[in-house]
Amino acid sequence: MERQRTLARFRRSDKIFRNLTFVAAILVLSLLGAVAVSLVTGAWPAMKEFGFDFLTTESWNPVTEKFGALAPIYGTLVTSFIAMLIAVPIGLGIAIFLTESCPMPLRRPIGAAIELLAGIPSIIFGIWGLFVLAPLLQTTVQPALIALFGNIPVLSGLFAGPPYGIGVLTASLILAVMVLPFVTAVSRDVFETVPTSLKEAAYGIGCTRWEVVRNVVIPHTRVGLIGGVMLGLGRALGETMAVTFVIGNAHRISMSLLAPGTTISATIANEFTEADGDLYTSSLILLGLLLFLITMTILAGARFLLWRIDQGMKS
Amino acid sequence: MTAVSPLVARPRELSAVPDTERLTIKNLNFYYGSHQALKNVSLPIYSHRVTAFIGPSGCGKSTLLRVLNRMYDLYPGMRAEGEVAFDGEDILSPRTDLNLLRARVGMVFQKPTPFPMSIYDNIAFSIGLYERLSDADMNDRVEEALRAAALWDEVKDKLQMNGQSLSGGQQQRLCIARTVAVRPEVILLDEPCSALDPLSTARIEELIHDLRKRYTICIVTHNLQQAVRVSDYTAFMYLGELVEFGTTTHIFSAPDQPRTQDYITGRFG
Repeated sequence: MERQRTLARFRRSDKIFRNLTFVAAILVLSLLGAVAVSLVTGAWPAMKEFGFDFLTTESWNPVTEKFGALAPIYGTLVTSFIAMLIAVPIGLGIAIFLTESCPMPLRRPIGAAIELLAGIPSIIFGIWGLFVLAPLLQTTVQPALIALFGNIPVLSGLFAGPPYGIGVLTASLILAVMVLPFVTAVSRDVFETVPTSLKEAAYGIGCTRWEVVRNVVIPHTRVGLIGGVMLGLGRALGETMAVTFVIGNAHRISMSLLAPGTTISATIANEFTEADGDLYTSSLILLGLLLFLITMTILAGARFLLWRIDQGMKS
Repeated sequence: MTAVSPLVARPRELSAVPDTERLTIKNLNFYYGSHQALKNVSLPIYSHRVTAFIGPSGCGKSTLLRVLNRMYDLYPGMRAEGEVAFDGEDILSPRTDLNLLRARVGMVFQKPTPFPMSIYDNIAFSIGLYERLSDADMNDRVEEALRAAALWDEVKDKLQMNGQSLSGGQQQRLCIARTVAVRPEVILLDEPCSALDPLSTARIEELIHDLRKRYTICIVTHNLQQAVRVSDYTAFMYLGELVEFGTTTHIFSAPDQPRTQDYITGRFG
């Protein structure tokens, strides 16, 4: 009798627990839905006014109220792409070093430094970028790049113009530094999940360190690695403060990486307070919606990629 | 004293070829940091024979196996002293080319360790480390290796499937195929059947019997019946020391040492 009552109580509390977790899960979904709905309603006037031209127009003119998102979309994609181009190989390199060949006493200090880097607020990266990195690039790296690539056809276009210091390249570098700890920390964690016996088996047939990493460690952890890269990319795409400081905030698409540009989040952060007029505000919200969509598309693309890899392995 | 072993060794056809020493282990000491895991171990490993290492957990038998391909080198703080002569050369010498050594001394582990790639690539990758082959030659070599591991008939229609999707017993035979594919001279088996069901175990044991014709084999096992079934020589180890080494028939029927007697009759361990 006593036991029956206890069991009934267990069942009740288990049901409550299950419902609580269910509510928590639903809450996330409804929040996501609410964000999407408010973005769409806020962006509606701009969507009605510009239609698909919004995506293909470069000019951004608050005076005539002609708005186009091409420059910020371009800036967002280009800065994130360059940042990943720099951060992924370096991050993987650090992670491989930490897990495969780092002497034990150095492992923890380097790991801790990486985690500290991830904890630095983005505003500090912005200040550092504007007052330290940009002048440094302006006086040393950028003139060297211009001189070096000045006579090579395509590259001279990428590194053309006066060295401003601030610009797309500087923003990309800052983003790379900010993304690096994410890529490193995630790759290190997933590399550590590779079973020792699997690595020993690879060493056991005579693989070198590089062959073990290239053929066993990375393929074994590819799902986690892509996850880490996506996490970093998500941060790069949405990063606002640091980028706003150093990108120059010009609504222009320039082939040169040294020229100032803008990103979606930098535009919103810069102009939201001074956006007078419904169309201006609505255009900024539409920009936000676009960023939302870009991030979702890229995440979905990553999922699809992983799915394809799995299918390829099965068939 | 008469032996009361419940185990019956099956008769061996040892006399056909005289025993020649492939590896000679002399005064081997091994340290994990300050802990000494092997104490003054000396024994010969004979060519084209199966040598079984038995003994209770922690007796150093796996450690000894991992000295033979210098696997311990991956980890700082581990060191071996003494001499292990392989065709007259000391493999413990710092000048030893580890990649080459590991190609000559292959290893199969307790848990199956297929690489995260297709069945075909698991083998082709291993061969590709040492040889550049045309596609046709590579196909032949992969088939040869899979046949040698008695796996070909089961996987020939699904060579592009991920190696990790096979059953445990098949995975282990894939690992043996991969080891054989590199054409080693010595094969080390570290409890190769302890994660497998009886049927897969029987297949692996048959396989060891076949492989003996072409390779020198060392096997660590907890399963005494298995040692009796597959091995020609047996080394009994206890607390880092080699207690007794001799033909398997001798060790399991009339061991010289009382400790060996106690272990094989199940009185301790």
